[in-house]
Amino acid sequence: MEAVTEPSVLATLLNIGGILLAAVIFAALLTWGERRLLGFWQDRPGPNRVGPFGLLQVVADMIKLFFKEDFVPKFADIPVFILAPTIVMIAMLMGFAVLPIAPGIGVIDLNIGLLFFLAMSSMAVYSVILGGYASNNKYALLGGLRAAAQTVSYEVFMGISLMGVVMMAGTFNLREIVLAQEGGWYIVPQFFGFLVFLVAGIAESHRLPFDLPEAEHELTAGFHTEYSGMKFGMFFVGEYLSVILISGLITTLFLGGWLGPWLPPLAWFLIKTFVLVVFFVLLRAAIPRPRYDQLMDFGWKVMLPVSLINLLATAAILIS
Amino acid sequence: MVDVVVPELWPLIAYFLAVLGLVVLMLTLSHFLGQRRRDRATDEPYESGIVSVGSARLRFSIGFYLVAILFVIFDLEAIYLFAWAISFREAGMLGFIEASIFIGVLLVGLIYLWRLGALDWGGKQKSLEQRESVNANNGK
Amino acid sequence: MQSDTLTRKQPLPTKTYALAARAFLAEIRRNANDAWYQLQDCADGFPTLWTTPGNVIALLRYLKHKIPHPFAMLYDLTAIDERLRINDYGRPQGTQKPDFTVVYQLLSVERDLFIRIKVPLTENALSLPSATALWPNANWYEREVWDLFGIAFDGHPHLRRIMMPHTWKGHPLRKDHHARATEVDPFTLSDEKQDREQEALRFRPEEWGMADHGEDSDYMFLNLGPNHPSVHGVFRVALQLDGEQIIDSVPDIGYHHRGAEKMAERQAWHSYMPYTDRIDYLGGVMNNLPYVLALEQLAGIKVPPRAQTIRVMMAELFRISSHLVFYGTFAQDVGQMSPVFYMFIDREKLFGIVEAITGGRMHPAWFRIGGVAQDLPEGWDRMVREFLDYMPARLAEYEGMVLKNKLLQKRTRGIGVYNTAEALDWGITGPGLRATGLDWDLRKRRPYSGYEQFEFDVPTANGGDCFDRCVVRVEEIRQSLRIIEQCLNNMPSGPYKSDHPLTTPPAKERTMEDIETLIQHFVNNSWGPVMPVGESCFPIEATKGLNSYHIVSDGGTTSYRTRIRTPSFPHLQMIPHISNGLMVADLIAIIASIDFVMADVDR
Repeated sequence: MEAVTEPSVLATLLNIGGILLAAVIFAALLTWGERRLLGFWQDRPGPNRVGPFGLLQVVADMIKLFFKEDFVPKFADIPVFILAPTIVMIAMLMGFAVLPIAPGIGVIDLNIGLLFFLAMSSMAVYSVILGGYASNNKYALLGGLRAAAQTVSYEVFMGISLMGVVMMAGTFNLREIVLAQEGGWYIVPQFFGFLVFLVAGIAESHRLPFDLPEAEHELTAGFHTEYSGMKFGMFFVGEYLSVILISGLITTLFLGGWLGPWLPPLAWFLIKTFVLVVFFVLLRAAIPRPRYDQLMDFGWKVMLPVSLINLLATAAILIS
Repeated sequence: MVDVVVPELWPLIAYFLAVLGLVVLMLTLSHFLGQRRRDRATDEPYESGIVSVGSARLRFSIGFYLVAILFVIFDLEAIYLFAWAISFREAGMLGFIEASIFIGVLLVGLIYLWRLGALDWGGKQKSLEQRESVNANNGK
Repeated sequence: MQSDTLTRKQPLPTKTYALAARAFLAEIRRNANDAWYQLQDCADGFPTLWTTPGNVIALLRYLKHKIPHPFAMLYDLTAIDERLRINDYGRPQGTQKPDFTVVYQLLSVERDLFIRIKVPLTENALSLPSATALWPNANWYEREVWDLFGIAFDGHPHLRRIMMPHTWKGHPLRKDHHARATEVDPFTLSDEKQDREQEALRFRPEEWGMADHGEDSDYMFLNLGPNHPSVHGVFRVALQLDGEQIIDSVPDIGYHHRGAEKMAERQAWHSYMPYTDRIDYLGGVMNNLPYVLALEQLAGIKVPPRAQTIRVMMAELFRISSHLVFYGTFAQDVGQMSPVFYMFIDREKLFGIVEAITGGRMHPAWFRIGGVAQDLPEGWDRMVREFLDYMPARLAEYEGMVLKNKLLQKRTRGIGVYNTAEALDWGITGPGLRATGLDWDLRKRRPYSGYEQFEFDVPTANGGDCFDRCVVRVEEIRQSLRIIEQCLNNMPSGPYKSDHPLTTPPAKERTMEDIETLIQHFVNNSWGPVMPVGESCFPIEATKGLNSYHIVSDGGTTSYRTRIRTPSFPHLQMIPHISNGLMVADLIAIIASIDFVMADVDR
């Protein structure tokens, strides 16, 4: 039986290449999509000049980033400075490896998929902290400190919020979690888990309202103040990758993954993920930024107790 | 054991190498394509256009250390919960009761820290109205 | 040896104000020591007391603390270089001609009265005791006088340059300092000079008595600005930080200083108008108003009702425009991205009206001495009415979006708090003062340009925090809409400019009929009008607080000295007082809530 379901080497290689390309391309497209969506909500056009609907703006931006000065400041801690942006890219792209996009589509089917994702997402914070610290710049340092405190706080209940799902499905394997939702999406029984994970996910990807590490109104550009060219681009793409990854994961864990009638599974997965991504952008358009201590308060005093109680309640219901 | 695991993991390793390749490609390309410039202020850190005083290498306030410690404590506890979550059917009622006690202790610990003020970050001011109501209460 | 201000020929601006002035003069004559002061005759009805360097602090203390309804606010502090003055105007008889005069202007919000105190100084003894112990906001004013005139203030904690670079030689507002770049060698910037200038800007904590580490951590010294997204221009705050908590802060200004006061001494009365637009560059013609009012007061020009109403309407349009920019950037600075875009769309509609009426947008320079530049164009009423119909719904929408947003409230409530007494002490005026619960608006208290005929409320709030400063401004937009509607419904007919011979540009109708009018027209056009000798100051309620031009005329075609008192200057000075102990993010909210533009601070 193992031999029958085991995909061929060629299919796996195609999967690897396809998912990597798709992730990067979608992240790049999102840089355009976000600006167009923000423009739409803010009564302005957004980038609409380069190519049809401004789509080639993505290409233009990429060319620009490649040809920008690849600035490595002498006062910085140079190896760490160069390493920092690659961490977020690598960690986020590795996160895609366990994402069960559709039956037969996905890099690898790990039985500890969920833990692998959690590990990768917490790797990403090193990028911000190291980037901020290695820059040897005060704004960057403050951004790095904020990132450290924020991510560390939100990390705690991010995992706990998912344990309700794990209990219901009885596995860490993401594919099996999707299949376990055939009877009904987990967003209904695990609504609090969903809310907590959504908040933690936004915090992990440093998106507004949790973009304190860069908070341009306060810290000019926060942790990436000294970055330019493609290294800045990597932070940027990393952020969009994490938006897509978190959306994909919410889809998998709470919205039944690829499950859905009529349309092919891949379409369902993409639609659900896209809706979540749009929600992320809408949040950015709508909400002000809390202060550092308010953010920490919210995490420790609201989110952590809620996730713990949610876990207990889930267990109590399941066991009775 | 190793022989069993490695063949299953090869797609992940291949994928990792592909990711690594992409990142290295991006860094190298931009390194060679980008322009180079050295100006008078190139090697000064950006600080709103003013020559900076002191360095960005400082001893930080104890508050940041506290966050790290809290994280270590609570995240470590979370790992026990992970183990319980995956096996709670096997652990049964006894496991549930034990986990409840464990979570209860965690929550009590959290409340204790909360009351202790370990979860308070940053200074606070009061609006004039709040000041007045405080004064009024003190007056009583 | 006293000459009473009330025996002057020109009428006082308003009756109530005259009563207040008279009451004050009677009172001070009854109670105060005569040796302290002498009274001066002035065109603007500011009771003006002359005193000596030895007595000035005693007199100021008396006025601030000892009399009933005291003068709680140091409204302005500046100086005049008297050395080239030909006409010896206003000086009490029997006193010697001074080389410099230091001028204090005080405000009593209970009397609705401004007074002026003058201290004559001779060139060989250019120093005065500092008033910083009486008013904290005297600090920057005295530094400014030191910087621009070289008059020292004994006992000042940090008497150093504030507007000019620390490397500057000379004191620019002295008459012997050059006014134009062409009067000196061309400007060059060598590498050494650049290094020197940059080094001079470096923040030195020890000069401000700041320790570099606390009990268990090092402090970080961070320059927030001048090149920073949220400091609304080129404003710098040097911060002493413990983590992200502000231990102490030192605001630093002068990066936007263009010498507007010095330029006034080289421009004809009329041709200075466009410079005023650029003081509070969000306020447009609101800036023209105190300038023309001061000149009209000096020349005794009576402005026809239509011109007055047009002025009020345009000024209120610009008040809305300025408040909209505030509203949007306030939301943006606490991280809310979208409102500013919507508000700029509204502002664009406003500029459409302004452009149709004046031909300009941000800086129309459209008021004239004696009236306005043109009559209203055909169809103006339709445009204004459209805007009046459109705006209230938008404001309701913003209210839900911004003011009712819980996160924004959490960020701004209880942050940057000061009470009325502190506000008066620091010279805070405008919405920042009214947010502390004091119902004091110059348009009501001392109406000008026909404001007494309009029905509107003075919005106040009681929290004195960032949020309340926003609430007050938003409500002011609604009140301005009310005023504009009244202008629209009751626009008087008649001329849009006075027929006084000193109005600009001079009337042309009769020039072809006799040679005298032709010559006068030619001279008034080419040289500009000659204003009578005198002194005049006319505070108005501008977009950001009280704004006034204190004009000294020596009977020429240019001003002898123009002092621009702007609201933003003292407002910025208060930042350390209300932000120390808070977080960096709070400082940004505070800066946003103050609503300043750097041109209004540095001039």
